[in-house]
This record gives sequence, structure tokens and C-alpha cells, in this order.
Amino acid sequence: MSATVLKIENVHTYYGKSHILHGVSMEVAEGEIVTLLGRNGAGKTTTLRSLSGLTPAREGRIEILGHDTTRWPAYKIARLGVGYVPEGRRIFPNLTVLENLAVPMTRPGYWSVDRVLELFPNLRERRDSWGRQLSGGEQEMLAIARALLVNPKLLLLDEPSQGLAPLLVHEVFRVVASMREQGISILLVEQNARFGLEVADRVYVLNDGQMIHSGPAQELAKDEVRVRALAGAGASEA
Amino acid sequence: MELLLFDGFNGLIQGAFYALMALGLSLIISLNSVINFAHGGFMVVGAYLAFTLAPYIGFWPALFAGPILAGILGILVERTLVRSMYGRSDPIYSLLLTFGFALIIEDVVRTIWGAQGVPFEIPAALGSPVSTTYFFLTGYRLFVIAAIGLATIALFAFLRLSRFGIRIRAGILDLETVSALGVNVYLLRSVNFAIGTLLAGFAGVLAAGVLQLAPTMGDDVIMATFVAVVVGGIGSLFGSVLGGLLIGLAAGITTAYYPAASDVVIYVIMAVVLIVRPRGLLGQEGLFE
Repeated sequence: MSATVLKIENVHTYYGKSHILHGVSMEVAEGEIVTLLGRNGAGKTTTLRSLSGLTPAREGRIEILGHDTTRWPAYKIARLGVGYVPEGRRIFPNLTVLENLAVPMTRPGYWSVDRVLELFPNLRERRDSWGRQLSGGEQEMLAIARALLVNPKLLLLDEPSQGLAPLLVHEVFRVVASMREQGISILLVEQNARFGLEVADRVYVLNDGQMIHSGPAQELAKDEVRVRALAGAGASEA
Repeated sequence: MELLLFDGFNGLIQGAFYALMALGLSLIISLNSVINFAHGGFMVVGAYLAFTLAPYIGFWPALFAGPILAGILGILVERTLVRSMYGRSDPIYSLLLTFGFALIIEDVVRTIWGAQGVPFEIPAALGSPVSTTYFFLTGYRLFVIAAIGLATIALFAFLRLSRFGIRIRAGILDLETVSALGVNVYLLRSVNFAIGTLLAGFAGVLAAGVLQLAPTMGDDVIMATFVAVVVGGIGSLFGSVLGGLLIGLAAGITTAYYPAASDVVIYVIMAVVLIVRPRGLLGQEGLFE
């Protein structure tokens, strides 16, 4: 068993007074790709927001790379080596592609602006375009590139396939799979269960803020009926 | 015609001051989400500190020392007072806080330097008119316009070319994502607040040479500065510059024809903008409509 990159125990998170996560626990090991599935509103995004420090957990414990980060501000968690690709990409529309890539606090490591532009040649062509001018696919690439510049040991991806054409979903799939070779651990939130299960080692399923399933991804991928029951009717659509 | 030129040029100077003040205020409103009512107070502090230091270090060093000290005061105020307002979604708290702070600054200045206005000595080389026909074109007034122009260009270059400036622009639209990318947003906001108050201090020193120093000199400018930001469009720095110049010129030109209306005209402009185009001339869509 390799080292644990992420370990969360009994996490409770609230938005104001509404209780979203009811005691969530999960783990991600080094070099592992873990997918988090669930219906709309199950608490997937909230789980990532708790991990990244944007919506801190009110109870429970979050341990990242051996540090108790439960009460850390978001920027310190990122500097520990956590890359975050938020839901809806959240590209800075008023910045050019190159300027978007100047925002992250870069940690020393493999990824540099040149390297991420090599990984996404489209972005190189559009390096002086404004963020608001990019297509959905280009925005997704830029959001991933931006997160990679942190040189993450753990990458949090929130619905990278959302709104993308099948061809682009495969492109994202290729990139996510290649991260494994870099030794980057990945926690992937997905509505698209087929994509999420294909790329992952293990899977968790969240419902109403509680874990209702965890296990090897291959096992669940074979059982489409089960996927539908656990993660919702739309989950198995490609 | 000469009267129109005279009043128009006065308006341009006035507008340049509004623009410089509005730039700093706009930065603070956008990134710190604080309506800084004390912005005029930082202007006064910068001016009086430069006035106090000038006899010892000379005019030119004081021109920079005053604003820098106003910037340092800005950092202290942000860290101790303003920061605790960030979690509150209702802007009334920060408005009351900075309004109270503006009153404190005014009284402290009055206590230290006196309620009467004091003249600010400018270098003799800048004091004389450039031409006899256009007597209002003194070297100092031209210098003020050039200095404000340079400060504006320097700010835009900083925001466009430096990594810190790029992060400020990113944070104006999405501070949360900036923090998730490892940027210390507390530091970013502190420095941004300081840049805003530094610009106010710079406006103060320059204004001291045109008018004279008085504890209330901030009051006369702060309302027009808010109008400039609203007219230009909240969230747009170019808009603030444009708004400042526009209302300054409008007030100046109105003075030539109907002096009594020169104060009213800027509020008329604001009312018209708010009715016809609530987001302001260059403001982003969706903020207020």
C-alpha cells in the first residue's frame, strides 16, 4: 500500500445553515485516480470545496500529504501541492490565456508555462486571446493547465467533461490518464459515470451528503444497473 | 473664448484629480469590496505629511514621501480595521467604518496642523505662468497634469505587465479562484488597498500646490470621486479615469456659462448615467442591471 495523499474523516460541511456533507470519509493514495460519483446536489462539489479550503469543513478532519489542513486557508492548501480545477472552469475572462497562466503561485517542479502549452497546443495558438473568447474545450484545457502550474501532488477536478463534445471528453480523458505517469494523484468528480469509471482506480458514490458506496472502479463499471441506482439515471450516459 | 479656455483648463485639472482619486477608490471597491469613505482622508494625510517633510527633505523627495506614507498608513488600516469587514456581505459595515475613520483623520489633522489652511511652497521654477496670454497655464499646473498622466500610465502598466498586477485583475472578478491557485489573497488585498491610498496621497500632494492645505480638502473631493467611479462604471479602471475627466471638464465648462450650476452639473451627469446606463460608461454588464 503506497502512502496516503488525502484522508478525510467524518467531514461535516455547511453552506450557511444548510448542512450539506453529513460525515463524509474517504482516502486517496499516492498515484491513484479516484472518482467521486453522485446525483446533482449529492455534495460532490462541496466535498472538493472543503478539501481545497474554499468552504472549510465545520466538523471532522482533513489530512493532505500528512498535514491537518482542516482549518487552513485555501492558498496554503494549494501551496502544499493541491491543484484545483473548479466546476465551470472559472477562467478569468478579463485576462488573456498567458495572463491566466501567470496567476497561479508556481511551485518548483516539472510543469512550467512552456510545458503546459506543449501539452495543450491549442492554448499556445490562442495565448493572446481573452479568456472570455475561448470555447468550452479551450477553457477546460486552460483550467487544467492553470492547476498544473501549481505542480500538484493532488489534482482536484470538478466535472471536467461538463458541456464538452465527446471528442473533447476523450482529450480530457487522455490528459487525466497521463497525469498518473507524473505520479499525480487525482480526485475526479463526474456526472459522466462512464468516463469517470473508465479512468479511475477506485470509486466513491455520494448521496445526500453521505457515502453510499466505495470500491474498485472496474467492478462498478461492469454493472450499469447498479451505477444507475447509485448515481442517478443520467449518470451512465456517455 | 479665453474665459472658456480658462475654465475649461481648470476643469481639466479638477478632472485629473478626480480621475486619480477615482482610480484608487475603484481599485479598493473592486478587490477589497470596501466602499472607502476615508479615501479623501488619505489624500489629506499624504498632503500634510509632504508639507511637513518638504522643509527638511525638499519638495521633490516630499512629493514621493507623502504618498508612500499614505500607502503605509493604508496597509496599517487595512490590516487592523478593514480586514475584519471582508466576511460581511452587507457593505453598510465597511461604509460606516471608513466614514468614521474619515472623521477621525480630519480631526487628527486639525489637531496637529490647525484648522486654518496653510500654503504649500512649490519650486519657483514651476510657479510662473508659461505664457502671458494664457496666464492660467502655470508650469505647476502643466506639471500636475503630466504627473497624473504618468501615474495613471504607471498603474495600468503595473496591472498589465506585472504578475502581482495580473493577480489583482484576476481577483477583481474571482478572488476565490485566485486563492485556490495558491495566491495569498490577504496580502494581495493589503497591497491593493495601499496602492489605492498611495494614489490618494499623491493626489493630495499635487492638489496642495494648486489650492492650499486644509483639513477639509478631502471632503470637497470625495463626493465627486464617488460620482466619477459611478459615471465611469464600477469595476472599470478606464471608466474611472474617463468619469473623473468628464465630470471635471463638465464642471469647468459650466463655470464659464453659469457658475452657480457648476457643483450641480456633476450630479446631473450621474443621474442621467444611472437612468440611461446604470452600469456606467464602461462598467460590466450584470453588476447593476
